[in-house]
Amino acid sequence: MGQIDDLLARALREGRCRLGQVLIQPGTDGGFQLRHRGDAGIASETLEAFANVTDAHLIGVNDDAGVYRPLKTAPTLRRGWLLRVSDAADLRRALDILYPGQLALWLAREEGRLPATSLRETVSRQTGMYRITGKLTTDEADRLTAANCRSDGGCLRTILWTIEPGSTPCSRLPSEKFDAGHDQTGAGEAVIPLLCLELCSLVVAAGRAHLKGEKPLPE
Amino acid sequence: MYPALAKTNAALLIVGHGSTQNPDSSPPSHVHAEEIRRRRIFAEVACCFWKEEPSFREARYLFESREVYVVPNFISEGYFTQTVIPRELELAGPRTQQPDGSIWKYCEPAGNHESMTDLLLQRARDVAPGIPEEETSLLIVGHGTGLNDNSAVAAKEQAERIRGRSRYAEVVSTYMEEDPLISKWDELTTAPNVVVVPFFIADGLHSYQDIPVLLGLEAEPTAAASQREVFRQNPRELRGRRLFYAAAIGTEPKFADVMLDLVMAFDANHGTN
Repeated sequence: MGQIDDLLARALREGRCRLGQVLIQPGTDGGFQLRHRGDAGIASETLEAFANVTDAHLIGVNDDAGVYRPLKTAPTLRRGWLLRVSDAADLRRALDILYPGQLALWLAREEGRLPATSLRETVSRQTGMYRITGKLTTDEADRLTAANCRSDGGCLRTILWTIEPGSTPCSRLPSEKFDAGHDQTGAGEAVIPLLCLELCSLVVAAGRAHLKGEKPLPE
Repeated sequence: MYPALAKTNAALLIVGHGSTQNPDSSPPSHVHAEEIRRRRIFAEVACCFWKEEPSFREARYLFESREVYVVPNFISEGYFTQTVIPRELELAGPRTQQPDGSIWKYCEPAGNHESMTDLLLQRARDVAPGIPEEETSLLIVGHGTGLNDNSAVAAKEQAERIRGRSRYAEVVSTYMEEDPLISKWDELTTAPNVVVVPFFIADGLHSYQDIPVLLGLEAEPTAAASQREVFRQNPRELRGRRLFYAAAIGTEPKFADVMLDLVMAFDANHGTN
């Protein structure tokens, strides 16, 4: 895991100390502390303190209303906590729990080995109860993406894929949604990107719900 | 416990189903991963999920190791182990050389392991301590139905094995959605005590929320297990019997050993190269 450690250390030196809604700050004795970016100005002692790296599971599981977060890259990370980790290895572990797999995707992208898969290819590959999603029209796929993947209320990942193979990205989302250098929280700060290389199973399921008439997509 | 197993140049990938609705579906996989990580057998240990993150499709980017053992944390061979996982991970068979040159080794699902019978029996005894087996009916409950779902067959096989080696008054395999239905548990059994062990990977939607309703323990699905203060009280007097309901078999800590055993079994069957 040395390459991810190196990449993370370099980003922190450059001041890119934010991943999604998490702020990474230096702690004591070479350690680090993590908190919600919205809690940046709040005194540490007023935040709920966590000291085990696996506590990150407890922090990430539910939102502020206590509702389960199946999508960890949704902009619903709860506030009011402070997680202290002792070293760079535990920092990586904590981030990997709060944003599972994202550091590895970031490394792959930096090394130019993160091919994206178009929405059409993803839905065409489905079998079983999701085979029906292969019937989504290009316009429905565009609406599906806009409704579910938007950064304000949907998902903070930067979309790397297109709707059809070799075509353009979702026409209903702003161009910065496809820019890995953009802070998808809208705060305009230097961030480590959250990346999306293809449509996730949540959105595939939403596509099925639309086609089945259970939850039609907005126009 | 596994002195011979040192895979310090290899990675272990635990593949789970996960859930968009229930927070307790993926934790057993994370817990088993953490235990295996603690033992420092593999260079890297990670999980991926069908319904959570990282996704199956993202799994290929998780490791620096050139050798990856893939263990499905599923109860049986079936639609997921034979169709979805190979398709999404692009596995061509037991041993696949990926485009980047790494070798991915596809092990059998956890629920296939020979120790399952012992683990189910232990669960049954733990949930009803001191209750005589000969005065107890044991129900193994599986999912049943679904696409190419062999979980019903697996539950039936386990019931048969337990029948052959225990003193329970009767041992019956039951299902959520096909006969014999778990909802008819009182008609399927005769003993005064009834022990129900879910043959599931996690105390998620099915085993914690759906089956208790089918048993009559709850009038409607409760909040998820991790969102309640009390897991479940045993026994409950119901339909003239004493009913004991165990946690899902996949929450058993010995699943970490099961996964390591499956890795060793892969090597034994397919070689270490």
